[in-house]
Amino acid sequence: MKAGLSPRLFLVVFMGILLLAPLTLSAFYITLLNYIGLYAMVALGLVLLTGVGGLTSFGQAAFVGIGAYTTAVLSTSAELPAWIAWAGGAPWISLVVGLVLTAAVAVLIGSLTLKLSGHYLPLGTIAWGISLYFLFGTMATLGGHTGLSGIPAISVFGVELLQGHQVYYLIWAFLLLGIFTTRNLLDSREGRAIRALKGGIVMAEAMGVDTARSRMVIFVIAALLACASGWLYAHMQRFVNPTPFGLHLGIEYLFMAVVGGAAHVWGALVGAGVITVLKQWLQDVLPKLLGESGNFEIIVFGILMVLILHKARGGLWPIIVAGVNRVVPIRVDRRRIDPNATPLPRRNMPAAGDVLLEARDVTRRFGGLVANNNMSLSVRAGEILALIGPNGAGKSTMFNQVSGVDTPTSGEVLFLGQSVVGKGSRAISRLGMSRTFQHVKLLPTMSVLENVAIGAHLRGSKGVLASAWRMDRVEEDRILAEAARQIERVGLAEHMHDEAGSLALGQQRILEIARALASDPCLLLLDEPAAGLRYKEKQALGDLLKRLRGEGMGVLLVEHDMDFVMGLVDRVVVMEFGEKIAEGLPEEVQKNPAVLEAYLGGVE
Amino acid sequence: MDFQIALILGQDGITNGAIYALLALALVLVFAVTRVIFIPQGEFVAYGALTLAMVGNGVLPATVWLLLGAGVVVAVLDGMAALRAGQSKRLIAIMAVNLAYPLALLGLLKAMPLAELALALQVLVALLIVVPLGPMMYRIVYQPIAEAPVLVLLIVSVAAHLAMVGLGLLFFGAEGYRTPAFSDARFEVGPMTVTGQTVWVVMSSLVLIVALALFFGRTIYGKALRATAINRNGARLMGISPALAGKLTFFLAALIGTLSGVLISPITTIYYDSGFLIGLKGFVAAIIGGLASYPIAAGGAILVGLLEAFSSFWASAYKEVIVFTLIIPVLVWRSLTSHHMEEEE
Amino acid sequence: MKFKSTLVAAMTLAFAATAAHAQINVGVTLSATGPAASLGIPERNTVDLMPKEIGGQKINYIVLDDASDTTSAVKNIRKLVSEDKVDVVLGSTTSPNSLAMIDVAAESKTPMISWAASSRIVEPVDEKRHWVFKTPQNDAQMSTAIIEHMTNNNIKNVAFIGFADAYGEGWYEQFKGVAEARGIKIVANERFNRTDTSVTGQVLKMMAARPDAMFSAGSGTPAALPQKALKERGWTGKVYQTHGVANNDFLRVCGADCEGTFLPAGPVLVAAQLPDGNPVKASALTYIDAYEAAHGKGSVSTFGAHAWDSGVLLNAAVPVALKSAKPGTPEFRAALREALENVKETPGAHGVFNMSPTDHLGFDQRSRVMVQISNGAWKLVE
Repeated sequence: MKAGLSPRLFLVVFMGILLLAPLTLSAFYITLLNYIGLYAMVALGLVLLTGVGGLTSFGQAAFVGIGAYTTAVLSTSAELPAWIAWAGGAPWISLVVGLVLTAAVAVLIGSLTLKLSGHYLPLGTIAWGISLYFLFGTMATLGGHTGLSGIPAISVFGVELLQGHQVYYLIWAFLLLGIFTTRNLLDSREGRAIRALKGGIVMAEAMGVDTARSRMVIFVIAALLACASGWLYAHMQRFVNPTPFGLHLGIEYLFMAVVGGAAHVWGALVGAGVITVLKQWLQDVLPKLLGESGNFEIIVFGILMVLILHKARGGLWPIIVAGVNRVVPIRVDRRRIDPNATPLPRRNMPAAGDVLLEARDVTRRFGGLVANNNMSLSVRAGEILALIGPNGAGKSTMFNQVSGVDTPTSGEVLFLGQSVVGKGSRAISRLGMSRTFQHVKLLPTMSVLENVAIGAHLRGSKGVLASAWRMDRVEEDRILAEAARQIERVGLAEHMHDEAGSLALGQQRILEIARALASDPCLLLLDEPAAGLRYKEKQALGDLLKRLRGEGMGVLLVEHDMDFVMGLVDRVVVMEFGEKIAEGLPEEVQKNPAVLEAYLGGVE
Repeated sequence: MDFQIALILGQDGITNGAIYALLALALVLVFAVTRVIFIPQGEFVAYGALTLAMVGNGVLPATVWLLLGAGVVVAVLDGMAALRAGQSKRLIAIMAVNLAYPLALLGLLKAMPLAELALALQVLVALLIVVPLGPMMYRIVYQPIAEAPVLVLLIVSVAAHLAMVGLGLLFFGAEGYRTPAFSDARFEVGPMTVTGQTVWVVMSSLVLIVALALFFGRTIYGKALRATAINRNGARLMGISPALAGKLTFFLAALIGTLSGVLISPITTIYYDSGFLIGLKGFVAAIIGGLASYPIAAGGAILVGLLEAFSSFWASAYKEVIVFTLIIPVLVWRSLTSHHMEEEE
Repeated sequence: MKFKSTLVAAMTLAFAATAAHAQINVGVTLSATGPAASLGIPERNTVDLMPKEIGGQKINYIVLDDASDTTSAVKNIRKLVSEDKVDVVLGSTTSPNSLAMIDVAAESKTPMISWAASSRIVEPVDEKRHWVFKTPQNDAQMSTAIIEHMTNNNIKNVAFIGFADAYGEGWYEQFKGVAEARGIKIVANERFNRTDTSVTGQVLKMMAARPDAMFSAGSGTPAALPQKALKERGWTGKVYQTHGVANNDFLRVCGADCEGTFLPAGPVLVAAQLPDGNPVKASALTYIDAYEAAHGKGSVSTFGAHAWDSGVLLNAAVPVALKSAKPGTPEFRAALREALENVKETPGAHGVFNMSPTDHLGFDQRSRVMVQISNGAWKLVE
């Protein structure tokens, strides 16, 4: 594992090439690199939004337009209204104005459309993308469809960036800044929350992540990246009109992200580069091959794109990395865990025997079906309670009622004396209840360590900006050290850096327990933790639960495996047909005729 | 605005809405069975209309060369797959469907005086050329990546759309075409005039929708497609091949698209790039139906048509702004009322 | 890193391609695809017919497509001036594209001849537009022709419908200016998109305004849609179109519904009907003959003629410039610009050019005629 070249080395070489490019390449290729930089910035936003966050947007071109038009109007209009006149004629001020405006528009649009579920969201982005595009074209102050000309070049320290190679450094500085901050962000507490958005919303909410806020965060960041690209575009082009901000470009940006590799920040650059260079190359080569008369570029381009996606569903970046790896192995740098990091603060555990959770007369109806009827149970600190019953008895429904995933039709659920009915799983997790899922919910491409670290989300506080600028490292070390501690505790230490998806199902269940423990709960809800475990693993799990009980934690577990339950738990609640039919010590319950009937009755 | 104007606008909106409804149905169908968001749906509208226009002008439609080219590619792909699987007997059938058919059609078209054919026959010719492109397209473009994520399938659709628009420009040129009306009749209904073609469009849409309903409800293939739409893996276990379901779906989508093109080309001018916007409106309607519900999609299509007609009267410069902004509250409402499973990509 | 090598490969190819050029290099960017393709395609066809040799120098045309997109147009002109080191740039097809190219032309001190309509491309001739010329008539010139015809026919109120793009917008601005000055009122102002399937709403609104005449500003076959809709709704009054419709495809699509339509156009549209004394007749017929010989009878469009006229300008200016400098040098480009600015009394397909330091179009009354559609053909209105 240690062999191979450091990724950092590749980065240094790449930066060196970028730095020297204007000295060796001709002016036009610098122009092309400028466009690649501009497009990559927008595509980077889409990597974050679509590739990582799972929110497909066709509307990014409209945000590019907001950035471009803001600066175009402010820097060309002779008579600005008094309230904004102070921002006239100075590109750097208009960048700030543009970013503020874009953020405001993004928050407004986001609050309307980010709630949209499923396929409604992409269409929502098409809708506002088209609306904004046509607004650019119809508003006379924006130069209508014909456009605004005479936009000045940007000045840096008094030097006007008129030539392509001058703007070049500015554009690539912006882009690299974007790439590094995005990469930093994704490798942080907030970043893990963002990465959970694609396919892990229920889990993330149960770990205390405000997923609606995370969605908004990436939406605004993507919009700001697009806006900055638009600002640079306007000053490089020195002319704006609506065509570069329409739906076709919005689709093309998405195209770039996907072709490059939508799940990787560098994919944005690869996608923008390949598509820009390919189009240029086709324009140069095809007329020589096929004659001047027709326009074959777009046809060949479309066909090539289909072929690329056939060969590379995940985009080109993973293929490039794999290819380079074959020639020169790239070292995989594991996340370093600092064993000396100050442990995260822990909550005050309730005294053993205190009632943690109390459900009173909980009834849940789905239409005519009564899934839970007048169910009551309570869990104390330092006690393991098992909820058992045959298939379809309503155990999982009951589990959902107490964990805040669902809201009971009537009845009361108290956690630490507070009513938690209707509060949602996020609020409940903040109070100190943590859970696992019957159908394992983890992020298969993230490492075990990172998966567990999501559990500690609420124990950190560093936000997006701190993460992007690496001002969160002390806290991050503490979170990862805590996650590593929990992983060792549940016995998965050897898999610490493996992809979670590569674990066996039983190990994935154990991972979920470690994740729940990372949140420092006083009550643990486990949904069939022993399913899929081998005998030895069950024993280890039993030992772990006993240890937790000894530390004063309360555990509620839903389980099928009688042998596992009976040797472990303090009390048992038995359900059938949505109702409680028995409650008591394991050995009492085992002799209860109603229970025997329920379990054995159907078997003749 | 008076009542009469509202009536005329309503009629206009419903006519366009009927076409959007057809496209929406095709899009819902394609998505349900294959998870492909079929952006090139609109290109079939343009190809259908423009192929008919070429036939009407007595020109050999260039789309027939595309059919031949696509046939060769499919024959090579399927032929190689058959050889690899040791099923060399299937080669003859593959050749017959993918090579002999386009060649026979080409020969027939060259021999026939295209411009002198009756309109109905010309329409038939256009269908014979354009519709088989649908299943061929599925075989070439989508079948190799049938299991890819929705986003990748969508981007592939965009790429296919770009190529098809480029080919459209090459085949048909930049200028638009109209085709002769199926009927020159005009009916006076109360204060307004209804043209025969409008009746054709609306009635044909209705007939097609009913026919599709019967196809899905009564025929074995229709039921197989429905089963695939509900549960792809389950359908495969029941012996329904996803490749066959995909091809059948794309056949239907191409048929619907081509017919839509043929129906509207007498009432509006169709260009090589008309398809995108028409398809997009159908897409809007399909999404309003959640890419799942046929009746809501059809209703959404009529809504889009009406919105368009009325906003082009009130503020034509802002037409698209109005239509697409008003879509957003509809989406929010639909999103709130439909239960959506998380964990789907 | 792979992408770097792709880039290098692309560069090598491009260099190999440019090394072969010699003599006078003429760069062309036009919109052969995208929304303006119906204008760009005849222009591209025309470039093939333009002079291959001027003043004993071989002319080498480098044609690039900008897909009707401003970003591509600017990218193209950057490529032409920096890679191909062209002596002059022709194009692009649309006004936004041409406006976007001005900065690059000025920055690289390369003369540019636009084929787009907006007067903003060459007015005012300031430091940047110093380098920019154009061949199509300004919309204002064409508007004046229409307004004169309207005034003569006692038309007081006009309803306007135009493309929802730079074309419709440019026409509305120019037309409104001239109309208001002449006391003609615009009672409705509607827009439609090129690929719209219906304009019923717009047409109803225009008719509700009860105008004396209708005016539609669109180009090519899409401009037939409002006129057909007007006919369908029972409009029998006068309809005016712009010279954008002047190709035979428009007549084919609009058919009988466009009988009697008036439009202003460059003389090339009705060249054969011009009186023999007209200075434009011979030069316009030369173009028509050349184009139809290559592309068939009735295939000519007035847009291609704008491209042709840029060839006419080069034909007049290049020999002058050659006297003072060698092609491929900044001096030659400056001399060519100077020579273009001094083109006098040179007849093209669309009119007679008389350039000056303050007028980089140089057209007068001779650049426009009124035309009526009669029996499915263009007819000169005396």
